[in-house]
Amino acid sequence: MPQYSLYQEESQPSPWQRTWEEFRASHIAFTGLIILTLFFFIALFAPIVAPYDPLQQNIDVLLVPPSWESNGTITHLFGTDALGRDVFSRIMVGCRVTFGSSILLVLIAMLIGVTVGTIAGMTSGVRSSVINHTLDALMAIPTLLIAIIIVAVLGSGLVNSMWAITLALIPQFIHHTRAFVRSEMKKEYILASRLDGATSKQLFFHSILPNMIEMLVVQGSLALSIAVIDISALGFLNLGAQPPLPELGVILADGLDVAYIAPWNTALPGLTIFLMVLAINIVGDGLRSALRKRLSH
Amino acid sequence: MIKILIRYTILFVMTLLVLAALSFSLAYLFPGDVLVNLSGITPHNDAQRAALMRQFQLDEPYIFQFIHYVSELLQGNWGYSFVSGLPLREEIGIAMPATIELSAYALFIALVVGVPLGCFAGLRSYSKSDYIINSASMVSYSFPVFWLALVFILIFSLEMGIAPLSGRLSLLFDVPDKTGFILLDIILAKNIDSSLALGDALKHLILPTISIALISTASMIRLTRRSVIDVLNSPYIAAAESRGLSKSQIFFRHILRNALLPILPLMAIQITTLMTNAMIVETLFSWPGIGNWLIQAIYQRDYPALRIGMLAVATVVVSFTILIDLFNRFIDPSREKYERATV
Repeated sequence: MPQYSLYQEESQPSPWQRTWEEFRASHIAFTGLIILTLFFFIALFAPIVAPYDPLQQNIDVLLVPPSWESNGTITHLFGTDALGRDVFSRIMVGCRVTFGSSILLVLIAMLIGVTVGTIAGMTSGVRSSVINHTLDALMAIPTLLIAIIIVAVLGSGLVNSMWAITLALIPQFIHHTRAFVRSEMKKEYILASRLDGATSKQLFFHSILPNMIEMLVVQGSLALSIAVIDISALGFLNLGAQPPLPELGVILADGLDVAYIAPWNTALPGLTIFLMVLAINIVGDGLRSALRKRLSH
Repeated sequence: MIKILIRYTILFVMTLLVLAALSFSLAYLFPGDVLVNLSGITPHNDAQRAALMRQFQLDEPYIFQFIHYVSELLQGNWGYSFVSGLPLREEIGIAMPATIELSAYALFIALVVGVPLGCFAGLRSYSKSDYIINSASMVSYSFPVFWLALVFILIFSLEMGIAPLSGRLSLLFDVPDKTGFILLDIILAKNIDSSLALGDALKHLILPTISIALISTASMIRLTRRSVIDVLNSPYIAAAESRGLSKSQIFFRHILRNALLPILPLMAIQITTLMTNAMIVETLFSWPGIGNWLIQAIYQRDYPALRIGMLAVATVVVSFTILIDLFNRFIDPSREKYERATV
């Protein structure tokens, strides 16, 4: 924003507009956002856009190399796998499964975490302290462990692995919400509303929640990158999504059998996961630095 | 001081009890017979079954069963594995040190490489070198660890043949298992060429360690960099500069200490990620650690092993986290004040 304006400004940009201005100023963050939007569209429209059925097996075209290799064909852009399934279509639908389920579980974890965190942050006393500390300690249990236990109890499957990761992500949201609510509750504007006779519910929805959304977006982007990696890791270890469901980790594990003669079957799904996580991280990082710059101005 | 110690001890015991209760309830939650899940022994006839029931006090109310379970845990009777029939305590005693060893080396690399690089980038913030370090850490932070390990195997083991594919040590070396930490065991072993064995063990270590360390190092760099930049903006640095202290004096006396303080509690969170990554990488490199062991247990539906394995891993991770937290509280008393004000 210019320091001195010749004209008297009619409208003041809202905090969100200013954040967007700062975000857009960083080219890398903006590129990340474009890639992320691309993934989002693939996730939404994969079944329509994908050239082949991801489950359709074709014995005539086993292990066709990708199109940029000398003996590859353009009909199968990323080649085919050991069962003649089109890798490009599988990866597209895989993005839908991995990315879509990650977004869904982050939203669920956020909802539960914010609810519990707010209650923990607004109450005080020995009981809340005990609950808080135990939760903090339990936060340390690795996702993989929770997933293994849930798979042992309920059996493997995409939905069960989603529950496991949701469970693992909830404590983080609780922790951050609690800390945030605690620090906000001490500020004057909360005291002012309180003196006006606002109930805790009104305090939360009208005063704290609008201020918390930025924190939630940043934490959500962090959680999303963890969720994508974890869901594909569980799929890879055969604890999450089960073949033939085209989940990126499952595709990678499938390709492992032919990794030596058909390296694109492991390289491409892995690269897709990497790109997806990188885009999420770049956008999250850009968002954080945009917020920081806005606050420091 | 003593008050803090007592509080942390209570917290630790409470968390362990919660974990033990979870692991006890798993015996009921898992499919199959509760008695078999709890003991790992399949009774052959009714008499043996009744004896086992009495031994595990399964005819008593849940609370007495739980108390008995905890006392058995404390005495080291952890039950038997379905698959191997060995006592679980022995199996975990072999597997757990292997994982801790792997994670420890990775953490060491992350600290030795990550902190100086992070400081360097933070001191030259928003310059070209900072930009390069920051982007590189962002890229390596985004690698899915299982894919990274696969790529390493493909390049270094299969194509170039520099590093071995799997395991901890060549089978030619006969190293007795004393501590469970392979490098220590080799040094303690009597009748082998230790330098050759050490070289071989290091070759086996290098790929799994680097694939875990790369991700931890990246997050270490990012944490340190941010912390250093925050400290640089604080008024006492300007005060130190105005007093005419040299750059190195400011860095070692004021920046480094204050920048490392907020990193420590974040490191506690890092340990969880580190252990998860270590457990995933183990399965790829057939490293005989707890992650590999647990995954094998779940493939074979070895419920007693899962019940104890979960408890063991969670206990180790939670203890490390609480220890780091406690240590942090000791060296940074300002945090304690804040906690006391809010709790």
